[in-house]
Amino acid sequence: MIPIDKKRQADFQIIARWVNEGECVLDLGCGRGVLLEYLKQKKSTYGVGVDIDFDKILSCVKRGVPAYQGDILSILKNFPDDSFDRVIFSRTVEQLDDPDAILAEGLRVGRRVTVGFVNSAFWVNRLSAFFKGRRTINEVYTKPWYESQPSNPFSINEFEDFCRVRKIDVENRIYLSGDWNSECSLSPNLFSGYAIYDLATSV
Amino acid sequence: MNDSEKAPLIPEEGEVGFVEHQDFVSEHPFEFVYGGKIPELRLRYETYGHLNAAKDNAILICHALSGDHHCAGVHDIEERKLGWWNFMVGPGKPIDTSRYFVICSNVLGGCQGSSGPGSIHPETGKPYNLDFPKLTVQDMVKAQSLLIDSLGIDCLHAVIGGSMGGMQTLQWAIDFPERVGRYIALASGARHTAQAIAFNDTGRQAIIADPMWKQGAYDPNEGPDRGLAVARMMAHITYLSDVGMESKFGRKRRNVDESKEHFEVEFEVESYLRYQGASFVSRFDANTYLYLTKALDRFDLHSPDSLDSTLSAVTAPGLVIGFTSDWLYPPQGNREIVESLLRLGKNATYAELTMDFGHDSFLVRAPKLYELIHSFLSR
Repeated sequence: MIPIDKKRQADFQIIARWVNEGECVLDLGCGRGVLLEYLKQKKSTYGVGVDIDFDKILSCVKRGVPAYQGDILSILKNFPDDSFDRVIFSRTVEQLDDPDAILAEGLRVGRRVTVGFVNSAFWVNRLSAFFKGRRTINEVYTKPWYESQPSNPFSINEFEDFCRVRKIDVENRIYLSGDWNSECSLSPNLFSGYAIYDLATSV
Repeated sequence: MNDSEKAPLIPEEGEVGFVEHQDFVSEHPFEFVYGGKIPELRLRYETYGHLNAAKDNAILICHALSGDHHCAGVHDIEERKLGWWNFMVGPGKPIDTSRYFVICSNVLGGCQGSSGPGSIHPETGKPYNLDFPKLTVQDMVKAQSLLIDSLGIDCLHAVIGGSMGGMQTLQWAIDFPERVGRYIALASGARHTAQAIAFNDTGRQAIIADPMWKQGAYDPNEGPDRGLAVARMMAHITYLSDVGMESKFGRKRRNVDESKEHFEVEFEVESYLRYQGASFVSRFDANTYLYLTKALDRFDLHSPDSLDSTLSAVTAPGLVIGFTSDWLYPPQGNREIVESLLRLGKNATYAELTMDFGHDSFLVRAPKLYELIHSFLSR
């Protein structure tokens, strides 16, 4: 089994590929600031993180990453249009109260929006639901439902629907297979474990 | 969620031990923002640790309304009371005196040795009283900058303060961006709310209504003690939280002597506040209280144009810390500072601590606060 930090590296690398040198980046649900630190090292970005949890902000401070403890929607409303070159939601969207409004705000505040999410329709999840009648517990989702935060998982197809309905331009999409490492091109909604989208507002 | 981190090793802690105050005296006239000047400026201050050869390891601590320059250590063996931020300042502590040269001065307008309404005008030989010029937070910071000059320090490693000290800290970052390496403002805000002004004015009215105040021209030994004590009692309530007071006092009663007067101390909380009032009177001057509270009420980073335009001068990275139970300088008032700084593309961090001690939370030793300040200063 591939350790979680290895798994994470692949999506970090893809996001870093999309980010231009010296860009201004807002990471929503930044956790401990690891992605922002990585982007700063690789692409000399100026990044700001947002997280609701004090301990995460403390870790950002230790990494020298500026961060804001608070609600994502309220901080987004604070910024004028196109304040950032890129707004990142890395494994954040499934935990948002109002994803539609927040993604719209992200697209207003950022010239580009990057969304990384776990594909809920991944075949392992389907088999687990079909044969065991249970959700998957793995190294990413380690806890049973009663110890987990409320989450609103969605699939690649569902995300595509969203982009179409909301007329959001998908500039780039990359699907990672179940190991979250190699890229996957065949029937991504079934075979991809993790998806990363690069979005822009339709002009 | 899945990544855990080990807490950094915090070195063994020590104490700064015995400390002595020093006096900075500038014989040049000091001019105030609102006009008016005083012929000489005095600031009483303490320092801890050593200034390095490059003179770039100095940290300035700005105290709150009722604080003073004595923030760490003890003055002599008889004195049991430690400096007001002793848990934060010392060898191996977050404000580490084995690395940093720490300076804390009594504010301009104060009553613990700095020039203020109670100090003697060198030309008339009498106290300034109400002839002391109108005071602002900007004046306090300008006076401190002269002290920093006199120590041969160009750039401070950091400026830190809570409450009124937080406002001075922000003012430092705005007025002297090239001299501030980084800053931490705790439990502060860009301006007073109507509620904060209302509380301050009620306190001022208690002093002014005391017949002993005599238009500010009282004998220092016979001042408006009743008025000042009431002002302090009321202000002290605003520094605590309802949850904190409930858990500390609840409805606990003293042993009441039934034969005594109807309005003697009955509840613990009354006893506590009366004690706070009485002990404050013994160390604080009523006119200073009027001047400082007025300076705080006037402080407004939203003026003259907007918060963004005022903060646009800031260049240093900043950390603003709010406390959930602080209803005097509520989290939202702290948060809006960082929101503005981030809007301006500045390097700023906002952290919020869940603590039950109200506004005074920044004066309470809490491991998370400890680690946050330690991490921000040492990065």
